[in-house]
Amino acid sequence: MLWVIVPLFKVLQNGWLDWMEDRFPESKHITLNIRRIFVIPTKVSLGLLVTLGVLFLMAINFQNSLIYALTFWLLALIVISIFFTYRNLAGVTLRAIHSNACFAGEKAVFEIELSCPDNQKKSAIFVGWKDQDVAQATLQNHQTMRIKLSHSTHKRGLLKPDKINLFTTYPVGLVIAWSYARLDMESVVYPKPILQDTSPNQQGKSDDADAGNEIARGSTDFSGIREYQAGDSPKHIHWGAYAKTGQAYTKTFVDYANQERWLDWDSVEIAGVEAKLSHLSAKVLQYHQEQQVFGLKIPGKIIQPAAGEAHKTICLTALALYGRP
Amino acid sequence: MFNKGFTTNFNITYSAMMWLLVAQLVVMAPLLFYLPIWIFPVLLFSAGWRMRVMQGHQEQPQKILKTIIAGVGIAGLFFSGMPMVSLDMMASLLMLGFAYKALEVVEKRDALVVILTGFLLIGVLFIYSQSMLVALYGAFALMILTGALIALQHDGAIQIDNSHKSTRALLNRIIPNLKLSTLMLLLCLPLMLMFFIVVPRFAPLWSVALSGGGHAKTGISDSMTPGDIANLSQSDGLAFTVKFMGERPQQNELYWRGIVMQHFDGKTWTQSSESFEPETIKRKLRTDVQAIRNRLVKKGYGREYEIIYEKTAQPWLFALTPVVNIKGDALYGSDYTLMARADLLEPKMLSLTSYPDAIRDEYLDEKTRQRSLQLPKGGNPQTRNLVKRLLLQSSTKMDYITRVMSRFKQQNYYYTLRPGLLGDFNTIDEFLINNKKGFCAHYAGSFVFMMREAGIPARVVTGYQGGKWNEQGQFLSVHQYDAHAWTEVWLKGKGWVRFDPTAMVAPSRIEKNLELAVGPEGGFLENKIFSMKKYSWLNKLQSKMDSAQYAWRRFVLGYDRNSQSAFLKRVFGELSLQKIAMIVSGFFIGIIMLWSLLLGLGRKPQREAEEHQLYRKFCQHLEKYGVNKKLSQSPTEFSQYAASQLPSLAKDIEVFTQYYSQLCYNPSPAETTSEKNSITVLRDLLNKIKKGKFSESSGSF
Repeated sequence: MLWVIVPLFKVLQNGWLDWMEDRFPESKHITLNIRRIFVIPTKVSLGLLVTLGVLFLMAINFQNSLIYALTFWLLALIVISIFFTYRNLAGVTLRAIHSNACFAGEKAVFEIELSCPDNQKKSAIFVGWKDQDVAQATLQNHQTMRIKLSHSTHKRGLLKPDKINLFTTYPVGLVIAWSYARLDMESVVYPKPILQDTSPNQQGKSDDADAGNEIARGSTDFSGIREYQAGDSPKHIHWGAYAKTGQAYTKTFVDYANQERWLDWDSVEIAGVEAKLSHLSAKVLQYHQEQQVFGLKIPGKIIQPAAGEAHKTICLTALALYGRP
Repeated sequence: MFNKGFTTNFNITYSAMMWLLVAQLVVMAPLLFYLPIWIFPVLLFSAGWRMRVMQGHQEQPQKILKTIIAGVGIAGLFFSGMPMVSLDMMASLLMLGFAYKALEVVEKRDALVVILTGFLLIGVLFIYSQSMLVALYGAFALMILTGALIALQHDGAIQIDNSHKSTRALLNRIIPNLKLSTLMLLLCLPLMLMFFIVVPRFAPLWSVALSGGGHAKTGISDSMTPGDIANLSQSDGLAFTVKFMGERPQQNELYWRGIVMQHFDGKTWTQSSESFEPETIKRKLRTDVQAIRNRLVKKGYGREYEIIYEKTAQPWLFALTPVVNIKGDALYGSDYTLMARADLLEPKMLSLTSYPDAIRDEYLDEKTRQRSLQLPKGGNPQTRNLVKRLLLQSSTKMDYITRVMSRFKQQNYYYTLRPGLLGDFNTIDEFLINNKKGFCAHYAGSFVFMMREAGIPARVVTGYQGGKWNEQGQFLSVHQYDAHAWTEVWLKGKGWVRFDPTAMVAPSRIEKNLELAVGPEGGFLENKIFSMKKYSWLNKLQSKMDSAQYAWRRFVLGYDRNSQSAFLKRVFGELSLQKIAMIVSGFFIGIIMLWSLLLGLGRKPQREAEEHQLYRKFCQHLEKYGVNKKLSQSPTEFSQYAASQLPSLAKDIEVFTQYYSQLCYNPSPAETTSEKNSITVLRDLLNKIKKGKFSESSGSF
C-alpha cells in the first residue's frame, strides 16, 4: 500500500504540480518506469465486466461450474492485462533529438527517439500530444526508432511543447498504460511573414539600392551581358544565348558595396509590434531570396550585414525572440 | 479520461478482420449441434461479403440488404417451432446476431461487440454440455477470441511488410498473437482457480426453464413393461458413479433403488394408477426426512457415499435404501424413493447416508396395503391356480414365499436377454408356465403377481444392481446395462423386505455382472458394433477414461455450495471471515509475485544503445572544450560547427559523426559484425578526441 499512500501524502503536502514535477522532471531523455506509468481500465473492460455479469448470472442459475470457470478466467484476464500492458510501456526510453524551426501558423516538427531494452518487445505504443500529432511505434529487442511529431504553432517565440503523452492498450485493450514525458526541447517559431504596404519615403530610405556604388563582377544583382572572357565562372554563362548563336556570353552581376541594405526597426512605420515583426520577417525572406546582403536592426540587437542561409536563420531567430529576456 | 483528444476507434485491419472471422467460426461450430443449423450459412454469407469488401472487390453492404438478412433470420427463428421464451430461442437469437454482425464490422467498436458476444456464446455452449471435451474446446475458443482481441490492438507483425499473400508473412502475423494469448490465459489459471475455489456459490436466483427439446430421456423409465430393461442392457452409457466414504458393500448388496411400481394393468407396471406425470407423482409422494425417519427402525450400520448422476432428462435418483440423510438438493418420496426437483439436464451430485438393514414401515397403513395388493380383475388363470396350489402346500407366508422363490430355481427357468414375445393377454401365464425364458423384469413382475394373489403386499422396484469397481479411481461406476428390477414384500415385524427372484435363476447376475450372467448366449451390448467393453485393452483404457471422467464430475462439475464449504473446511479448517480474507489476499499476493517474476517486471532498467552512449560522451567531451550542441542542431550541423571551432580535431569529429549517423539512420540488423566494427571505430575516435584536445591545449597554453 505504501506505493499509493506515499505519493498521495506528497500530493497533499506539496500540491499536484510539485508532485508532477517530481515524477516527471524535465530532461533530454527519460525512461518510463513504475514511478511514471499509470494503469487504468478502459471502456472495453467495462464492457467485458457487463458481459461477465451476464455470465455469472448464467452460472448461478444453471448451477454450471464451467460457466463459473469461464467467468473467473476472463476476470483473471482483466487483472493480468494490467501487468502485460504495464510491461509493454515500461522500459521505453525517449530522447529529444532535434527540432525544426518554423513560421508561426506552420507546424513545428520535433524528432524524438524511442528505444526499447534488450530482449523485450513494445507493441503499438502511441506517442504524441493531445489534439496534435500522434505516432504509433512498435519496437523490439534493443531497437531504436525515430519519430517525427508535428506541433501546431500560433505565435512567434520559443515553442516549448506540453508534456508528451505515451500510452498503450496492447495486448488486449482492457486497460491502458499511460505516462508522460517532459522532454527538454523547444523550437523557435519565427514571426509569420506578412508583407505590409509601406510608404514610399520609407521605401526610399531602406530599399533604394540602385543609388549605391556597384562593385562590378559581383554576384548579387544581374546587370547585363557581355562577351565571354577566359576566367568567367561557368555559372554565369548565358547558355540560352550560346544555344542560339554559338557564341558564349557571360551574364554580369554586381554587388553593392557601400549602400548596404538595412532592415531597420525604427524606419518601418507599421503600428503594432507583431505586425512589424511579421513585415520584417517577410523582408528577410525576400532579401534572402534575392540573395542580397542585408543587416537587421531591432531594439537591443544589431545584426551586421551578410547573406546566406545561416544569416537568414540568425535574423529570423532574432525576430522570433524579440522582446524575450 | 486520459485519452480524450486521441482517436481510439479505428477501422480494423485486414488481419484483425481475419482473426475475427476465424474466431466466429470457432465459437459457432459446436453450437450447431444444439441450435438450428441454418444460422451457419448466415455467418458464411456475412463473412464472405466482408472478405470481399476488405479485398476491395465489393462495396459495403447497403442498409436494405442488412435489413433483409436480419429479417429473414428472425423470421426463420419465429417459424422454427422453438418455444418463444426458451433457452434455445435466446441462444439462437444470440447466435444469429453474432453471425449477422460479421456483415457490419468496420470499426474497432463493432469488433469488440463481436468478441464479447463470443465470450457469452462459449457460456451458452457450456449450458448444453459440460463434458471434458467441450470444456477443452471452450478453452480453445477462448484462446482464439483473446487472439482476436490482441489482433485488434496490433497485427503482430514486427516489420511492416506488404506481402499479405505469402504464407510465411501470414504465419508471422498469426503466431505471435496466438502465443501471447495462450501465455496470458495460462498465466491466468492460478488466479482463475483461486476465484473458482473461494468465490461463494449461490442458489439459483430464479428458476430457468430448460427446454427438454435437445435432451433425449435416457435410463430407467417410470413404467415397466417386460422388455424395457432388456433394451437398456444394450446401452453402455454411464448412469452414475459412487464413491464410498467407508467400506464398500458387497457386490450383491448393491441394489440402487430408483422407482417403485405399485400398479399393474395386466401388461405394464406403473407407479400409480392415475397419472404418469412426474410432477403429479412428485407432489403426491413428497414427504420430509423426519417423516421417513419416524417410519424407520435403524439397524445395522450406515453407509456414507457420494453419487454423481449423469444427465437423464428425468427426475429419478437412485440410492441404497433407505436414505436417512442427504447433503444436496433432492426430494424424499413416501415410498423411500429420491427425486430431483427438476429433470436432470446436467450431472448432479449428492452425498447420502443409508441404513440398508433398517426396518422400513413396521406398520403398514391401509391405503398402502390396498395399493400393494392391487391386481387386474381376471386374466392369467394358470398362475392364479398355481398360487392356490402353492398356498395349500405352505404352512406360513414365509414358507409360501420360499416355495415361490425356489420354484424359479428348480424349474427350468432360463435367464435371457431375448425372451421372445409374450403377447398382450395373460402375459404372466405365458412367461411363468409356458415360456420360462425371461429377463429380470419378467421374474420381478410375476413374483409380485404371485404375492399379491396370495394376499401378501408386494411391489416391483426398478433401479440398478451392482456396478463396476474402478480400482484406479476407487469408485464404482454404474452403467445403463446394470439396470435391474426386483421386488419388495411387506412382512409383519420385518417391514418391506427385498426379494430378487432373478438371483434364483441367474445368481451370477447379482454376484458378478450381466455380462457373465448372459454368458455365451450373447445379447450383451450386441447392438453396439464398436463397444469398448468387448476388447480387453480398450477396457483398460476405458477404466482410465472413466477415472478421469469421474474426477471431472466430482471435482469440477460437482463443485457446488456443499462441496465448496466441505472442501474449504477440509483444507483450511474452520473458517471465519477474517481467515478467508487473509487466505485470499495471501494467495493473491503470491500470484502477483509469480506473475512479476515470470514477466520480468522486477528487472533493472537497461542501458541505452552503445552508439548513443558514445555519442553522448562525445558531446560531453566537446562541451568541456566549450562547444555546446543545441537541440535544434542535427549531428551533421553540429559536426560542421564543432569542426570550425576546433580545427585540430575537425577530421576526427567529422568521421565520428559519419559513423554515428550511419549507425542511427541505416541500422542493418543483419550485419551485426559491421555494427560492432563501427562501434570500435567510434570508441577509438572518442579516445583520440580526448587526447587530441589535451595535446592541443598543452600547446596553446
